Amino acid sequence: MKKMIKVENLYHSYNNDDNYAVNDVSFEIRKGEIFGFLGPSGAGKSTTQNILVGLLQLQRGEVEVAGYDIKHIKNKMFNKIGMSFEQSNVYGKMTGLENLEFYRKLFDVETREPMELIRMVGLDGKENIKAGEYSKGMKHRLTFARSMINNPEIWFLDEPTTGLDPAIAANIKDIIRQENEKGVTVFLTTHNMHIADELCDRVAFIVDGKIRLIDSPKKLKLEYGEKLVDVEYFREGELVKDSFSTVAGGGKDRLVDVIRNHEIQTMHTKEATLEEIFISVTGRGLV
Amino acid sequence: MKLWHSFSKELILSSKSWYFYIELVMAIILLLILLFVVPEDFDSKGKEYIYLDLPQVVQERYAKNLLEEDLDEITEQAEVKAGGSVFKARLYETEESKIYLLDSLDALMAISKSESVPAVHVRANEDNQVIHTYYLQGYETVKLKNLLMVYHNRLAAHDVIEEYAENIPIRSLYQGEEAFNDRENLIPVFLTFNGSLMSLFIIAAYIFLDKSEGIIKAYAVTASSVWHYLLSKIGVITLTSIVTSFIITVPVMGLQPNYAALVLFLVTSGFFVASLGLLLTSYYKDIVESFGAMYIVILIMVMPNISYFTPSWSPDWVKIIPSYVMLQSFKEIISVNGNMSYVLVASLAFAVLGLDIFVLANHRFKKTLSL
Repeated sequence: MKKMIKVENLYHSYNNDDNYAVNDVSFEIRKGEIFGFLGPSGAGKSTTQNILVGLLQLQRGEVEVAGYDIKHIKNKMFNKIGMSFEQSNVYGKMTGLENLEFYRKLFDVETREPMELIRMVGLDGKENIKAGEYSKGMKHRLTFARSMINNPEIWFLDEPTTGLDPAIAANIKDIIRQENEKGVTVFLTTHNMHIADELCDRVAFIVDGKIRLIDSPKKLKLEYGEKLVDVEYFREGELVKDSFSTVAGGGKDRLVDVIRNHEIQTMHTKEATLEEIFISVTGRGLV
Repeated sequence: MKLWHSFSKELILSSKSWYFYIELVMAIILLLILLFVVPEDFDSKGKEYIYLDLPQVVQERYAKNLLEEDLDEITEQAEVKAGGSVFKARLYETEESKIYLLDSLDALMAISKSESVPAVHVRANEDNQVIHTYYLQGYETVKLKNLLMVYHNRLAAHDVIEEYAENIPIRSLYQGEEAFNDRENLIPVFLTFNGSLMSLFIIAAYIFLDKSEGIIKAYAVTASSVWHYLLSKIGVITLTSIVTSFIITVPVMGLQPNYAALVLFLVTSGFFVASLGLLLTSYYKDIVESFGAMYIVILIMVMPNISYFTPSWSPDWVKIIPSYVMLQSFKEIISVNGNMSYVLVASLAFAVLGLDIFVLANHRFKKTLSL
């Protein structure tokens, strides 16, 4: 399958010394894939992403995005790229609609109708208000909408749901899924494991500038997650909580025994979360 | 086309920003100052207050001599206010000074105290010698005091003084040029600082505003070049600079300046200064961090003003400061027979230098986009 992003032995140091913010990072992203780049603050996620979109100069390594060598960035490359920033960056003195109208003129490809995008992110009715008067969440949605204006083939999303209320965040996730179904490749940078778990085909864990692991969330859960069943039941009139492993140590037999001989109050299967796996693999939290 | 879109967007944005209106208002204020505060010719004549404590005959003789030097040979009756009182005086206006002859020693003392100006009490002693008593204020230089002593003893060394005075070479710095009046003389200064150098601060303000909003990053991930963004900013600033310069120049100078040369020079010098502003801003995160560098640049740029108002002080190092060339170029542009070759060469130099700095600034911006 066609590779949309190819990174080999990428290094980056802000002080041009041996203190690397990104240290020997390599990965590939296939066309139509949603790839999650996960790690705590300062792990090197944004540095890597900024190199991929040309905001930071490539110092060492090989990077190819949409078939373009990042060493020699051409403006044409940006016709294929969309970028939604974590910090919303729109013209505060222009309306939401004017912002999108202006940006669409900066591409050489067919662009989307600004009003269509405004409706998609739920800003219809607010399109003629100056973006400076928007709330933080509205600005974030406008920044997100702008990143789709040129029908990107590769879509870089930096914390796309941060600061949004659950309903709007769910809408944003739906949009990401819809665009992905159309064949858009997504590079998702986040420290939010839930959104990564919901959306990503594969995730990379990055800590201290190094990638520790790349795989699909499902495989990771199978490999690293302990399969447990949490049960609340009554024993001799008292409510008891217990966990039973379904794979090891006679847990299955004990679980069957509890079900047969006691009144069950609640029972839940429990999978390891991506966050737990991240902590288990890297030994670090996500904050 | 993208450059045009960026330029028109910047034009719309600047029309919605304070900086644009501040520039226009500043230009109007400067024009009003020129028209209503700055006289065409400053009154630089010194004022002398004299009380003649002399016999009537001598007084009349003294007054007659003054009248012969008076410009209109008419004695004016004047009133001089001092310390809350009004004193009558006879006013004689010569080519060098305005001389007030007062009626009393009290009037002379009151004026000397309240106005802090030198005053002269002229009296005769018992031997009928005329004695001049100067009431100085303490700030007078030794040279002036010596000059007064020499003046009153000039007969003693008449030959030496006359010979010395005759041998002092005097040459005009502006041969072949019609001198500006004081109002016109200020136009090059206003054009240099409001028209060209202001571009440095305005572009810094625009860029830092965009940096704080992250706009440059958003622009950098479009199919348009960063230099489009930078050049469109310069374009808007240059346009504003042309408008404000015309607001200042047209009402004062009328049709006298070479306006084509003015536009050309505003474009090239503005491009140079704005590029310099871009380069400076590329090194700093916000306007507060950049203050030190901006302050140094403006201090250097102000230096040629001293030379402009004191032409005898024009060391070579001042002549290479860009604002010196700007002042001289604007002066040539508004002169009747200005040296257009100088203006054209200066324009070319600013265009070439500006382009070099712009290329450097563009390179710096591309390197620091994620900051």
